[in-house]
Amino acid sequence: MNVFYLEYLKLKKKTRHWIGPIIVFILIMIAYPLTVEFLEKDLEKGFYSLLWISILLSMMLATEDIFLEDYNDGTLEQTIISISSFPFLIAKKIFIYWFMIGIPISLFSFLFSLGITKNLNISLLVFPFAMICSYIFLNLFVFGSALSLNKGSVLGAIITMPLALPVLIVLGKGVIAIQFGINYLELLLLLLGSLSIIITSVPFIVSYIIKAHLE
Amino acid sequence: MYKYIFYFSLFIYIFSLVWGVLFTQEDFVQGNSFRIIYLHVPASFLSQSIYAAMAISSVIYLIWRVKLSAYLILAMAPIGALVTFLALFSGSVWGIPTWGTWWQWDARITSTLILFIMYLGLISLHNSFSNHEKADKLLSWLVIVGFVNIPIIKKSVDWWSTLHQSASITLTDKPTIDPSMLYPLIGSIIGFFGIVICLIIISSKVQIFKREKTKSWIKDYV
Repeated sequence: MNVFYLEYLKLKKKTRHWIGPIIVFILIMIAYPLTVEFLEKDLEKGFYSLLWISILLSMMLATEDIFLEDYNDGTLEQTIISISSFPFLIAKKIFIYWFMIGIPISLFSFLFSLGITKNLNISLLVFPFAMICSYIFLNLFVFGSALSLNKGSVLGAIITMPLALPVLIVLGKGVIAIQFGINYLELLLLLLGSLSIIITSVPFIVSYIIKAHLE
Repeated sequence: MYKYIFYFSLFIYIFSLVWGVLFTQEDFVQGNSFRIIYLHVPASFLSQSIYAAMAISSVIYLIWRVKLSAYLILAMAPIGALVTFLALFSGSVWGIPTWGTWWQWDARITSTLILFIMYLGLISLHNSFSNHEKADKLLSWLVIVGFVNIPIIKKSVDWWSTLHQSASITLTDKPTIDPSMLYPLIGSIIGFFGIVICLIIISSKVQIFKREKTKSWIKDYV
């Protein structure tokens, strides 16, 4: 619990790190109606594609320098030496980021979906999709961020972006399934299954990668 | 030795290509356009096989620290990218007369495009580090994680409804392709496979020379 609280405090103090991605997400969502003709049907057509891409970009921004500060001031090195369960620390760090950034973005997704489509049922079903996909994207970009720890976050984002594309395909299908009321639970379960594999494997992989950086 | 394998493979490939393109009958649905399979199928097959070989090499490198595995991964990545590009390009050319479009965002084509981007990402990741040993380790991890895309490509035609047809040749079932088209296809796969293997050997030699250039045995060898 202490590690959770410590990571929470660390992120809370770095206001720019957690508010920044949320604000970018909100700005994209607000800017969207300005770029299409103001007809409700036109807005609805491309809304969900934009929503998933915005979540993807926000998560990419959130993990920009997730380890960089700790790497530069030697905290990472000290943590690896002093804590035996380094992968669990990584998992907790990712969870805190999701709690502080992913969940608010998912809530805003629900609100924007409700505002644009004016359909409570669809918006309620979109919410769990947003929660799960934000956690998946966060894990993937943390992996990329660890790979390109001291080489800038762009490289990490580029090389891990292809891994996020299948999730985007499933999300696209998910929205169609929700709109037509068919098989959306299967797709939600598919995402949940993928998430469970990712959250158990990524912390271990990331910890090995960080150790390779520090060797 | 590999030079002979290369020329022999090249001979088999050209022979199969000529046999398939000039001497097999037209397909009753696709007409002559099907003949691109003698490039498309070997390239698609090898684009995934090379990645699988890279993943095996990565595991070997991370567990047993065999340097040759790291050199092999580096040697295979650009060749894999080239072969994947060939698969995508030939697929697009085939798509125009068959589907009426050169590109479709369906599962098989998109996942193959992801594979191509993965290859480019692997190359750029390694090039961005000056410490070779660190770069090898990071590259190996990325290859292993990226391997998740291979079963997705393989099963994409079964899991999603796509324009792409399902596999005509499998290990378990009888081929659904006519023998007159099948034999030159098998020949072209074998020939293409041999050519790619030789290219990987040459590329690996280049990697070994580049990385071991300060060692005395290299100076003696050269």
